[in-house]
Amino acid sequence: MNIPRRKDLLSIAPLAREEIEQVLANAAHFKALFQRRVKKVPTLRGRHVLTLFYEPSTRTHSSFEIAASRLSADVTNFSVSTSSVVKGESILDTIETLESMQVDYIIVRHSASGVPSLIARHSKASVINAGDGWHAHPTQALLDAFTLREIWPDLTGRRIVIVGDLLHSRVARSTSTILHRLGAEVAVLGPGTLIPDTRWEWLQKFRTFDEVLRWKPDVVYLLRIQNERLGADPFFPSLGEYHRHFGVTDERFAHLAAEGVYIMHPGPVNRGVELVDAVMTYERCLINQQVENGIATRMACLHWLQPGDPAS
Amino acid sequence: MSALLFRRVLVATESAPPAEADVLIENGIIRGVETRGFAEHEIPPDTRIIEGGGTKILSPAFFDPHVHLREPGKIAAETIQSGTEAAINGGITGVVAMPNTTPAMDNGPMVKNACDIAARTARIPVYVCGAITKGRQGEELAAIAAMKAAGAVMISDDGDPVENPQVLRRAMEYARDFDVMLASHCETKVLSGPGAINEGRHAYKLGLFGTPALSEELCLARDCRLAQFTGARLHIQHVTTVRGMRTIERYKNEGVRVTGEVAPHHLLFIDEDIGDFDTNYKMNPPLRTPEDRAGLLEGLKSGLFDCIATDHAPHTDFEKKREFVAAPNGITGLETAVVSLFHHFILPGHFGWDLLVRRYSAEPRRLIGLPPATITAGARAEMVLFDPQATTTFTRAFMKSKSVNTPFLDKTRQGSVEMVVLGEAVLKG
Repeated sequence: MNIPRRKDLLSIAPLAREEIEQVLANAAHFKALFQRRVKKVPTLRGRHVLTLFYEPSTRTHSSFEIAASRLSADVTNFSVSTSSVVKGESILDTIETLESMQVDYIIVRHSASGVPSLIARHSKASVINAGDGWHAHPTQALLDAFTLREIWPDLTGRRIVIVGDLLHSRVARSTSTILHRLGAEVAVLGPGTLIPDTRWEWLQKFRTFDEVLRWKPDVVYLLRIQNERLGADPFFPSLGEYHRHFGVTDERFAHLAAEGVYIMHPGPVNRGVELVDAVMTYERCLINQQVENGIATRMACLHWLQPGDPAS
Repeated sequence: MSALLFRRVLVATESAPPAEADVLIENGIIRGVETRGFAEHEIPPDTRIIEGGGTKILSPAFFDPHVHLREPGKIAAETIQSGTEAAINGGITGVVAMPNTTPAMDNGPMVKNACDIAARTARIPVYVCGAITKGRQGEELAAIAAMKAAGAVMISDDGDPVENPQVLRRAMEYARDFDVMLASHCETKVLSGPGAINEGRHAYKLGLFGTPALSEELCLARDCRLAQFTGARLHIQHVTTVRGMRTIERYKNEGVRVTGEVAPHHLLFIDEDIGDFDTNYKMNPPLRTPEDRAGLLEGLKSGLFDCIATDHAPHTDFEKKREFVAAPNGITGLETAVVSLFHHFILPGHFGWDLLVRRYSAEPRRLIGLPPATITAGARAEMVLFDPQATTTFTRAFMKSKSVNTPFLDKTRQGSVEMVVLGEAVLKG
């Protein structure tokens, strides 16, 4: 199977099923390398990867750095002081600087939706979106899909419920899209304030955890409650009330464990809010696999993309 | 110019389809409109003769009651001179300039200064809209009577609503007795948030905070009720939703002195046209749904809107090529309005030239107390020659505005503004 390579990976939405399959297949190939003593391959030798993180990140940032170095690419972190991330700053000026440096890949994270697209339109480098605003986080979606496909080679008819703040979550948008595209049934649960009416029609909405349990999901995907995004808008009364109604409490955990339901979370976890501590050591909690698979998936993305002239 | 003769042109009016005639102009005055043409001896020597071939349209020149000319404060994006040249290029011979300049146009001397700059640099009249509140801050009343004395034709805090209903009530009560009309930009800020995309599926897809229709509709209903309560004259700017349009209709039926305008972009585009974060589709109020777009068109056709207004909002490339949320609101419109409305609505038969003349020439002038431009014997020449068989490509070279933030950039549309005549001057062509 050989399909045309893309210049950029900005979101899941434009990807054809075959493209997703190709990346997942390559990720499996790269993951197999991790069992070897030498984990490095020369795929991107002589290529330069630049990470441009306008928003703080530890796990995604290091995951990309490790992925790039295991492909033998040179990696530079373009440090953007968070204090300079103000609306007056010109991203285009930064891009012009980067163009002069002639890097091959730019990994970008930004708090404003659409910034990776803006960069991609003005750069010859391949741009990978490492998370932009509430918009998209395509490598998270790919690693989530990869993780589930390790359990079920075919996701058709598998039931995944995403729990939490759908409104502000780029993970929810990207992961729900990829799982839907791979044939899974995707539902959501959360406070009415955080589940927009204007979401996609195929995202079935539940109002209570009891409804979710009756639906018999295969996977409960918990989203992080992002306190920093909630601001002054009163989305729900308190974290305690959130946990009681939408969290995996001890009681719900017992039920889910008895049914053998898998649990996922993009991290970092708010213990006592999205889930109780005991979940973290549950054998079907996939959080650590998600992290490990993130490296293989990101290697597959870097390997797949092809730097070149911007489309428009 | 001594004399102009338009031969076999279709003469447009606000009340009937264009009809073929010859139109003779001498010294800036229309000598006659003759369906059977002029006799040789009636045509002065050295008359410039323009052949219409029975297809070109001679229309009363257009008038835009809502534009941003950016002077003073943002002359990199537009000046009174460049903005009015853009207007002429689009077939428009009069504009009302909004007061959200820097500093805001909130006192008599600033209004007078703008009028003076216009008199010096613009080839068409510029009418100034003053601010409702000082600095457009929504707190203290601006010098309403002084601005009127200096030449302001209306007041508005356009770009922002007057959020405090008590302040707006006082402004209405005060302005009412000076016969000053208020124009409202309707938005409930706490609901609209930072976004400039309609709250809906596309905003969700792009991960952007959506501005709900509710934000506009609540404010619009409040402002109409306040106009009813105070007896002030109110104009609602850039209506984008069917509910808002119906609210204006209801208050009109109750005898309230309220009028409304609709912008070409809200008739032409929807939120999905933003595509992948294209800031040339970002404006406030935002593009809405297909249902709203269709409803607004029906409203325009059935007379629910008094005027068309572009909300011409120039911004530099540098400003627009930013994060979607940080890029400024607004698109240019003066140079694209007539051609795009012709291409998308008149050509396919949604409405006729008479509607365009009524809503984008006659009514906007009446809105601020001017007589409409007409092509009748004895009237001053204020007209546009439009060629429906030619096309216009909106290139950077074509545009006279200092800014090109328009979805029509480099696009071609049917129709072309060939000539613009104002009094004795041929401004274009």
